[in-house]
Amino acid sequence: MQPSKLLKPELYSAGSSDGDGATARLKGGRCRCGYVFFPMQTYGCERCGSHGDALTPYELSTNGTLLAEATVHLHADKNRPAPFTIVKVALDDGPVIRTLLADDSARVAPGQRVTGRLVPTTQSESGETVLDLRFSAAS
Amino acid sequence: MTRSLNDLRPVYVVGIGWHRYQNPSETPYVALGLTAIRAALADARIEWPAVESTYVATALLGMASGRPMLRHLGATGAPLMHVENASASGSTAFRHACIEVASGISDVALAIGVDKRNPVRRAETGIGHLAEDAIVPFTHFALLTNEYAVRHNATAEDIALVAVKNHRNGAKNPNAQRQQERTLDEVLGGKRVSGSLTSLQCTPIGEGAAAVIVASEDGIRRLGIDAGRAIRTTASVGRSERVYAPGAGFDAALTKETADLALAQAKVTPGDIDIIELHDAFTVEELHYIESIGLCPEGHGVRMLKDGALDIGGQCAINPSGGLIAMGHPIGPTGIGQIGEIVMQLRGEAGARQHQGARTGLAHMVGVGAVCYVHILQN
Repeated sequence: MQPSKLLKPELYSAGSSDGDGATARLKGGRCRCGYVFFPMQTYGCERCGSHGDALTPYELSTNGTLLAEATVHLHADKNRPAPFTIVKVALDDGPVIRTLLADDSARVAPGQRVTGRLVPTTQSESGETVLDLRFSAAS
Repeated sequence: MTRSLNDLRPVYVVGIGWHRYQNPSETPYVALGLTAIRAALADARIEWPAVESTYVATALLGMASGRPMLRHLGATGAPLMHVENASASGSTAFRHACIEVASGISDVALAIGVDKRNPVRRAETGIGHLAEDAIVPFTHFALLTNEYAVRHNATAEDIALVAVKNHRNGAKNPNAQRQQERTLDEVLGGKRVSGSLTSLQCTPIGEGAAAVIVASEDGIRRLGIDAGRAIRTTASVGRSERVYAPGAGFDAALTKETADLALAQAKVTPGDIDIIELHDAFTVEELHYIESIGLCPEGHGVRMLKDGALDIGGQCAINPSGGLIAMGHPIGPTGIGQIGEIVMQLRGEAGARQHQGARTGLAHMVGVGAVCYVHILQN
């Protein structure tokens, strides 16, 4: 397998690999008060204001339910050529996240089960394949 | 024991003025702002030295833009401050001008909103994100449109009717950036932006200015202002986003709690409101917010829209100015322009877009979801 690296290793880690890419775990956090959030940070809990040691890393599954999708037809940033599709996902572990739908995903609609995978995007200068998180309809 | 605005001494809007909202141009912001201020002074029939304090609402002009504009009115030495609160900058400036007068610190204060279209810059928080750089405001609202449509079985055509109504209202407003009636086919057939949103369902990029002068009863008497044209502010509430249940629409939840507080402060019910100017930067927002304010149960907004209940002359005229979709949204001026429209309507001076018998108006703005402001005015 060719060498690869993660585009945003502070946000997710790679699990086992298969033909469709690697499964991923999200680097969330959990407060002493029970509030679960993404991504991990130690500035302070949005719900209760506790900070520092009260906030600990808490891995989240990428499995979730689609709340909404929107295909973007116009986007000013040349680094993200339209069209692409944004999905809003309620993770089974609590937080709601918004991110990109994989280009090869089947069409998705609210209520549908979805999951995140690490998929090849670009090549780094040193020739590694850069992996980033994308969501797809759960198989 | 804290008190709300309506517990303090009464505060009235006595002067309103605009520089038309328009496409980006070479006109300096100084010219835009001065036009609106001089129109508001003329409307109140007072001179600039009577203004004891000024709040300048602007989000995109950069630091300390007020003085280079205000000095051309004659430098009186009166206090001046700048307010940046995203889309709600103007609403926030108005609130603080009202608070200053209601508290007794000043008798006459000015809120002036002015902006030119410049790049929006937001500082890094130090916290990473998956793809927020790909989610501009119209995509945030395209996602909400998809959720609303599925949850309430509404079609893209149903939601686009908001734009048809607001373009119709804007066509009658000489201060509107877009002054052209649009058919449903024109709205739906326009350039696709994100999800089912088309460009005529999104607020345009523009510039302009709006000014409002507020005064106490002492100020009105002392300056000989026509009390018959003064419109009282009977509620002012500002809130910011909390943590809501996962998946709950924070825009609608924040609007609901802010509007509930404002209605209680003014001691009115949603059924008492004759006109509402609200943050319809994108069509779906109007449906969300009229439901959050309590005009109808969740999911019933389309029915009201189709029945004409939201038209000028209907049960409650929503965005008689044309709203952000047609009147425009130059950011700093927008919330102040809403107050001006309501004052014009409550005075009965709105001409071709007059909602007959309007007695109570509500102005609503959100700012990047994070803040919400609601004001109620009554005559």
